[in-house]
Amino acid sequence: MEFLNLVIIFVAGWLVVRRPDRERLAFRLAVASVVLMVALFCLAAHGSLLPGVNY
Amino acid sequence: MSKRPLVYSLVCLAVLGLLIVPVGTAVFALGFGAGDSPCVMCWEERIGMVVITLLGLFVIRFGPRPQYVGLSVLVAAWGTYMSLRHTSMHAARDVGQGFSIEILGAHTYTWALLIYWACVVMIGVLLMMTRKEDWTVGVRTPRGLEKLAMWVFLVVVAANAVQAFASTGPPPFVGQGDPIRFSFNPRHWVWSMEEWKPSPVSLRGRWGIAKPDLATANPDPATGPFSDLVELALVEEKRLALPLKGGLPTGLAYDATTDRFAISTEHGLHIVDAAFARVTRQTVIDGGFSVDLGRFSDLAFVDPHTLVIIGENKSYVTLRENDHADPLRNYRFFLESADRFDEVSRSRLSTVRARMAYTMSVAFDPDTKSLFTISIPNETVQRLVVSRFDRGDMTLSEEFLPTLSEASGPALRGKSRSLDELYVTAATVRSGVLFALSAAHGTLLAIDLETHRVISAFTVPAISQPVGFAFKNDRFYVLCQDSRLVVVAAPDLGSAGRPGAARGTSHVPVPLPRPAPPSDIR
Repeated sequence: MEFLNLVIIFVAGWLVVRRPDRERLAFRLAVASVVLMVALFCLAAHGSLLPGVNY
Repeated sequence: MSKRPLVYSLVCLAVLGLLIVPVGTAVFALGFGAGDSPCVMCWEERIGMVVITLLGLFVIRFGPRPQYVGLSVLVAAWGTYMSLRHTSMHAARDVGQGFSIEILGAHTYTWALLIYWACVVMIGVLLMMTRKEDWTVGVRTPRGLEKLAMWVFLVVVAANAVQAFASTGPPPFVGQGDPIRFSFNPRHWVWSMEEWKPSPVSLRGRWGIAKPDLATANPDPATGPFSDLVELALVEEKRLALPLKGGLPTGLAYDATTDRFAISTEHGLHIVDAAFARVTRQTVIDGGFSVDLGRFSDLAFVDPHTLVIIGENKSYVTLRENDHADPLRNYRFFLESADRFDEVSRSRLSTVRARMAYTMSVAFDPDTKSLFTISIPNETVQRLVVSRFDRGDMTLSEEFLPTLSEASGPALRGKSRSLDELYVTAATVRSGVLFALSAAHGTLLAIDLETHRVISAFTVPAISQPVGFAFKNDRFYVLCQDSRLVVVAAPDLGSAGRPGAARGTSHVPVPLPRPAPPSDIR
């Protein structure tokens, strides 16, 4: 899934660099990568969402 | 902003710095060079940094529009959380211990915390330099440094994608908790679905341990782990009519030298006479001042005029009687009677096997000058642990799990039963034997402190929710949470208990010591 996310980011960056007319699509891809990143981290941390220290 | 290339140059430098230093170093030097593969959390932290650089490219290309700056702040905030969550897994370990590679004395996840914090600061600085007209600057043509930032971005992201494919695989494979060393050789690639396995969602995970609750302990001896226990003979039962302050009773201790008892409440201490007829001295402690003492769970005399009171959280306070205590100096420590005690010390007991477990008992052994605590088993630490602390420095000196002897001692009802079912809420030491009273099943354990074996076990009649336990003149005194006092005959352990059982029962008065000089060991 990390590979997929980096591909999405690469495509978004490519659009910014080479196809600035596709700005909206590039931004949507950036948002999608953020959502995927958040989801994957939650997947890894769902056993203890808060930092595992004494409170 | 388009007329202010300095601001764009700063954005370019920030993007390049983030791409080259943490992200580029991670993929080229640590990954391709040293064979380091990120764990699943490291991957997301790295991707968060890459997304911030991507949003930096948006700013370079289209100007600092609110959605770009806003999203970059959100990602930096999320990254701070991610790295804090990740660092917390290892932050409490011993010096130098961590996960994966250490760089300049800190592990990578710790650096991530600093980098995300720097991102937030940098974004704030750049935001202060923008003007409203910058929002609608249109598509900008990149030049010089801006072009460099864009191409470096594409190269670094492409390299990360290569590493991600080798380390984590295509979807739906996902990063691993313990990643395999990176290799360009496909034979060494391990793609995992481990993180997809369902498991409970929790806010605090193994740290979400409930505080002790006597109501959860099943008092019925018939359902306890032991079979055929002898019931101690009931001598007396009465309800105390003492004016206790600071909440419900939580502990009981006896000093043979002065023939006095001490009773702790949730936040208070009371010295009472031998007949439990009157309180001769009392105080209520400010448990929230300095070290959080929590709710007191038990207490012990460490000399005729000094007591250690322990909280459920294994924090403790040492108090010494003083008829000449300075109430002004002691104002900070006590909510009541600041002129009757001095606070000698207040700190925390550290345990290893009993870590992550609360305690409701403390006992003092004058022979070894040691304090003993017994853990309350919970979902995380499902075992009954005895911890010994040296009175001199209050440092952990021994920890053990009491064992049962197959040849002698009490017998379990079955192989599935264990000592861990007990809920020890009170304890005392007598002649080398630790007596531990469990609120669950009303069971009293006698644990030999040399062999660590349970040499005997009994049931105590007429008790419910016991909180305090003391020995005096061949009798055990059990204080219950409802202020009932139950007196039972102490068992004869024969040769198991070491000689000197009657030690310390003389009633020779000991004068109150002169006030100690103020000690600031907090």
